[in-house]
Amino acid sequence: MKLLERILKYQIITSLCVLTLGAVLFYLSVDYLIDREVNKELMRSKAKVSWQLRHIDELPVYILQLGDSLQLDQVRYPGQMAIVERKLFNEFENEYQPYRQLIFYERVEGAWYRVTISKLLAQRKQLLEAVVMTVTFIVALLLISLLLLNSWLSRRLWRPFYKTLRALDSYQVEQHEVLTFPKSHTVEFEQLNLSVTQFTDRLAATYQNLKEFTENASHEIQTPLAVILSKIEGLFQDESLKESQLVALSEISEAANRLAKLNQALLLLTKIENRQFLAGTEPISLVPIINRKLRDLEDLIEQREITVKTDIEPTGPVMHPALAEVLVNNLLTNAIRYNVNGGAIEITLNAGKLVVRNTGAPIHIEPELMFERFRKEGTHSASLGLGLALAKTICQVNGQTLTYETDGPWHILTVTW
Amino acid sequence: MKLLLIEDEKALATSIQNYFQRENFICEWAADYRTAVDKINIYRYDCVLVDLMLPDGDGLDAVRELKRNFPETGIIIISAKNSLDDRITGLNLGSDDYLTKPFHLSELNARVQAVIRRRSFQGSQQIRFGKIQIDPQEHLVLVDQQEIVLTRKEYDLLVYLIANKNRVLTKESIAEHLWGDDADLMDNFDFIYTHIKNLRKKLMDKGCPDYLKSIYGVGYKFSEQ
Repeated sequence: MKLLERILKYQIITSLCVLTLGAVLFYLSVDYLIDREVNKELMRSKAKVSWQLRHIDELPVYILQLGDSLQLDQVRYPGQMAIVERKLFNEFENEYQPYRQLIFYERVEGAWYRVTISKLLAQRKQLLEAVVMTVTFIVALLLISLLLLNSWLSRRLWRPFYKTLRALDSYQVEQHEVLTFPKSHTVEFEQLNLSVTQFTDRLAATYQNLKEFTENASHEIQTPLAVILSKIEGLFQDESLKESQLVALSEISEAANRLAKLNQALLLLTKIENRQFLAGTEPISLVPIINRKLRDLEDLIEQREITVKTDIEPTGPVMHPALAEVLVNNLLTNAIRYNVNGGAIEITLNAGKLVVRNTGAPIHIEPELMFERFRKEGTHSASLGLGLALAKTICQVNGQTLTYETDGPWHILTVTW
Repeated sequence: MKLLLIEDEKALATSIQNYFQRENFICEWAADYRTAVDKINIYRYDCVLVDLMLPDGDGLDAVRELKRNFPETGIIIISAKNSLDDRITGLNLGSDDYLTKPFHLSELNARVQAVIRRRSFQGSQQIRFGKIQIDPQEHLVLVDQQEIVLTRKEYDLLVYLIANKNRVLTKESIAEHLWGDDADLMDNFDFIYTHIKNLRKKLMDKGCPDYLKSIYGVGYKFSEQ
């Protein structure tokens, strides 16, 4: 829910509460005033009636207001004066209506009479109607003006905020970009923009540092490794070396090679995680990449008597071509490395989905755990244990999902985008 | 053949120099950008090996300098930087090859020879070794003027072996030359052995002596004696 909508929600709830409470108070106070007025009128009528009864033999009809009525009953003993409310049948309206009655006793020519003055309380109903209508009208007016104000505010006042939001949304740290904004007249937005500018400034600097560090680290580690490997290779040419020494040297060489590969793979992983590869701009077809890779691996596939079945359409996700290459490479080499001799590989590529299925030995852990770095099942010492971690990271930074399932002898890796 | 090595790491530079001296190449060494530019402008080289990160400058500038003044010189970039940008920039500037550190000296040797071969327009581009004659443009292999048919991998293997003749080649360097990054897909090096065996058989069938020696625990050596 938008901030303005939330504010509007609370504004509406508050106004409705206040208005209802106000209406009740208004009703009660006016009702009280009318009540007092009715009583006063009844007392005035009483005074008139009493005076008439004492001084005139006959009561004139006009002393009471229209709609009111006067009733005289002879009684034996007088009672207390009382004011009561009751519903009486109104012949004009043909329904029961509320009346207020003043009952008092008067002595005329030795006999007691009970006098009842009834007064129609029609005002109360009218009042209620008037109050409800006014309040409804005010509520409607308030809602409309609030909505109008709201949309106006969101268009005018919040414009710089939405602008900042859009800029942040499309912000890419890889571009080394520092976001700057035109001056805003609102203090809060001005502060926000200033913070965003400073923040992206720091971010760009930090990112640049990190990138340089990664590259320098690569350089610093690769160079001594290059020295080690070149010295070993030089030593191999020394014909005075004994066989056992050559074997030891060969093992050193293998280990150093492995270290170099490990370093390269980790650096690639770090680079991808740091998003040093720009996002792709258009979908790239994975078909040529898959075909090229299969051709490169052709003799390996043949040697292990693996059957490859492909069902591929020219499609692919939006991503950096170099990363697409690494992804396909890792999935296919993985499918070959962990395959069994005489096994099979099935590659399916269609809109939004790349599935690589291969036969292989069963794994004894959760398939998803295979995405962890250095996680290996079995004793494939030649493997670095980084292939699937690399594939997973590539998918993550490109907004794709990579899943690993097993189905009997089949290992199924699926990339969806 | 005359090479210039621009590399700030002394230990690596000596290894490379030693390796090429055995090949009867003259390999001069410049440890920094200034020396490199001085040497480039005084002497003529067949091939220049450039490290990109130098203490006093960018190796790419040396590549530009070379391209401007001596476009016929072969250039190979040797760099610890494996970033795509540098690779593309380097190749766009006109360098012939790009090799990422660490590399096998035998691989560097093979690439240097390929570059020199491609650039020597007047000289013969043929590769000769004993009874073997290879035309790299046609991918044609002749033994005593008879053609032998090799697979792509066998051909690559033969050219690599000849480029590094009389040297011990490790199985890893052969595997990496033939399969690149996929070399680690092979859990053992039996696979190379299959290719070696096939190649040796094809050569010997046409009357070649057995040039290929297996060095126990290490690799192979291609030599005439």
